[in-house]
Amino acid sequence: MQALLSFEQAPPIAAPFRFFLTAPLFAILAGTLLLWSGPELLASRWTPSALALTHLITVGFMLQVMLGAMIQILPVVAGANMARPLLVSSLVHAAIVPGALLLTAGLLTSQPLVLRLAVLLLGIGIALFLGAAGHALVGVRSTNPTIQGLKLALIGLAVTAGLGMLLAVARDGSSGLPVLQLTAIHLGWGLVGWGGILLAAVALVVVPMFQITPPFPAWFAHGFSWSVLAVLSSWSIVVGAGWQRPSAVLAAAVVLTVAVFAALTLQVQRRSKRARFDASQYYWRLAMLCLLAACALWFAADSLPALAQRQEWPLLCGVLALLGGFMSVMVGMLYKIVPFLVWLHLQNLGDGRVAAPSMNKVIAARQIDRQLYAHVASLVLLLAAVIWPEWFTYPAGIALALANVWLLYNLLTAVAFYRYQRLKMVAPTLAIPPPQGTC
Amino acid sequence: MTPSNADIVIDGRGLEPPEPLVRTLEALDQIGPAETLLVLLPHEPYPLYRALKLNGFSWQTTRRPDGTVEVLIQHQPQ
Repeated sequence: MQALLSFEQAPPIAAPFRFFLTAPLFAILAGTLLLWSGPELLASRWTPSALALTHLITVGFMLQVMLGAMIQILPVVAGANMARPLLVSSLVHAAIVPGALLLTAGLLTSQPLVLRLAVLLLGIGIALFLGAAGHALVGVRSTNPTIQGLKLALIGLAVTAGLGMLLAVARDGSSGLPVLQLTAIHLGWGLVGWGGILLAAVALVVVPMFQITPPFPAWFAHGFSWSVLAVLSSWSIVVGAGWQRPSAVLAAAVVLTVAVFAALTLQVQRRSKRARFDASQYYWRLAMLCLLAACALWFAADSLPALAQRQEWPLLCGVLALLGGFMSVMVGMLYKIVPFLVWLHLQNLGDGRVAAPSMNKVIAARQIDRQLYAHVASLVLLLAAVIWPEWFTYPAGIALALANVWLLYNLLTAVAFYRYQRLKMVAPTLAIPPPQGTC
Repeated sequence: MTPSNADIVIDGRGLEPPEPLVRTLEALDQIGPAETLLVLLPHEPYPLYRALKLNGFSWQTTRRPDGTVEVLIQHQPQ
């Protein structure tokens, strides 16, 4: 078999893996924060610990996975090669990890200095990533909707991060900025303009590829990212201007685009040619159902004043969208991306003389299945904790931490498998004991 | 070179990664200097392009109206 990769072009395996391995640590911290703060955390979405928890999931878990995945995906689906990917990854990772930790500490304590340090580090890390990814995409023609979506998602990341930094600096209340409106716009761009556009762009490739389904309809593939960006931009302008009625209509349009994406993905997934769903497909299904439920809840609160007045509904929406939607789909994708990368790099190391072991052997299927059950349990318990905080906050915290310890263990198993197989290829005559739990 | 008379054809549509890549790389070992290999895929295979370049092959990519990507491969002329 031929050689697969040129190491001058392809990102080394360590470039995306450092992000993937750090992400579960933030979710473990999120579980620990639930245990430390107790039921008061869920009194409203605005408590310092609820804000810290949200950012442990978004800036901690989600941003790590999204940046790591983009570093890997850009050359594979867009042919866009980032210059010096290992150096860029190292610097971005070294900035955003302490940045996310300081942001959590700053939101918990409201210390302006801590928040400013967080803004500085996150700003440097995200700007560096945007520069490197933007440079790689310059000159790459948008020959398919995924490339278009990746480019537009970078705009979403820039807007989300810019507004987030502004809000963090303005948290002491002395700026006179319209914080509530800016928070709504920051949230909209983070969830839909960055997360939603990136997720849909990647889904267009990975759902048909890994789940053996027909492609998404052309009207959706070509129209989604531009429509979302146009509606989101219009909504942001009218929210900023304080026009109530048009902002409500445009907000509904944004939520509707997310619901269309989730419903279409479920429909496409139903036509999978695979004889039996694997855990990754169940993760996708769970994610899309949770996104649909979050959209339905949003519409219900929008039309029922009695529901809109309750503190629980935005928290329920947040848990459904973040833990149920984005985290589920990201974990499901990690279980495809990580074994694929291990296989790809081992195949290349074999240099045509030694074939790499099958992708299915990298992480045992039963280990992935069990982690899926733990993730579902943490989701159900956290939803219950929003409604009955006194009863379920502590079980939810334990379950969230455990599900992510398990995820970390599974990812470390893949790393151990890679190292063991690499050693076998480099020194095939040596007697090397297999790592525990992998071979 | 034209797709219609390729010596070896691999239909990678409906196969889960990395199977299309594995089959293509195996077929590259088999094609002679004047022979051609046609690969049918549901998306553009950028990692394959890198492998082809690295191993001394040239290729032509065309898109069918149904979205299928055809990659016609042969050895680079010496």
